Amino acid sequence: MAKKAKLTEQKTGFAHQISRTADVNKREKQLKEHRDSLAARLRAGDRSAADEFVDMYHQQIYLFMRRLGHNRQVSEDLTQESFLQAWQHISQLRNGRALNSWLYRIASNVSKLYWRRHKGREMTSIEETGTDVPESSEAGCDIIGRHEQLGRLKKAVALLPAKLRQAVVLHYMQHLTIAEAAEAAGVREGTFKSRLNRALETLRKQVI
Amino acid sequence: MSKKRLTKLLNDLADATVEPVRPGLPEDIKQQIPKQLSPHKGGTDTIHIVINLRISKLAAAAVIFITILLCAGLFGGRDWTSDGIIHGIRDSLAWLGAGRADAMAVRSRYEDLARQGKNVVYYGDSIDPADSRGVLLQLKLPDGEYRVVFADGSTKIVNAEELVELLSQTLLKRKK
Repeated sequence: MAKKAKLTEQKTGFAHQISRTADVNKREKQLKEHRDSLAARLRAGDRSAADEFVDMYHQQIYLFMRRLGHNRQVSEDLTQESFLQAWQHISQLRNGRALNSWLYRIASNVSKLYWRRHKGREMTSIEETGTDVPESSEAGCDIIGRHEQLGRLKKAVALLPAKLRQAVVLHYMQHLTIAEAAEAAGVREGTFKSRLNRALETLRKQVI
Repeated sequence: MSKKRLTKLLNDLADATVEPVRPGLPEDIKQQIPKQLSPHKGGTDTIHIVINLRISKLAAAAVIFITILLCAGLFGGRDWTSDGIIHGIRDSLAWLGAGRADAMAVRSRYEDLARQGKNVVYYGDSIDPADSRGVLLQLKLPDGEYRVVFADGSTKIVNAEELVELLSQTLLKRKK
């Protein structure tokens, strides 16, 4: 009886896993279709698509600027500047798949230009963002130790050279795929992977 | 530390650095959306393309200037061989620089002679700048002949008939 119940439980678990994978695939497909349609509407000059685009991406771009080391006010300004540039370069937008990388590339260039113009300015470490480290849900995890480790990691990311920091932020913090992040950084995938490896190696040495 | 663990920590760091955006920010951005959100722009696009190629504005201006000269050569019905282009550019530069300077010098000379009460006529305002053999100035000499100064700076002594011939040629070229 107990064996039968266990078997049924296993079957249910397996079915649940399949259904979850199907859900994820379905969501990804829907997201892709939505991006394609949004890109097409933007290319056609649809203003409501532009509103939707802002709603969809403004927080991502703001956080991207913050994670690159800009303070709050500058991040807001650079977010606005990024969208302004996006309207001006809308003809360069190809399709929905490129939507992410296109906008992030513009934002990266806006940030780069800002650093170039304000060479003397201190970079705001993402440590100074004032956000709390979330408590881990893992059972038995040493929360204080983890907090310290995250603190060290924040410092180490902030001290990375600009190109390596950009790679880490794009891929691990903004969750862009390697292809998207490489396009956003304006380099080939191989170059981007190499930057990422160098960044991880540097971080690993500093966080241990 | 393993790569996997570091990756996990970076993902946690991403969560830790999430912060709320100022509520008015999306509206501020939306207000800057242009009324005509069109990918097909005209006008200053050439300048933007050149600037986007990370060429300095001075170089961009030079590129645009050379393009204008080449177009002027093409649509002005000039010889479209390499010699023709070079000749066209040289003419244009001469007109913009040296040619203008010569005309100004002749005009100044004319004003000088006119003040002295000499029988002198200046045609600089009415000739074709591209016509290097156009008559810029005529000066009647005491023996009844005329000294003419051409647009290219050269001079010649002619009689009355030859002067009429030269002036009519200059006028004809201007009409073309």
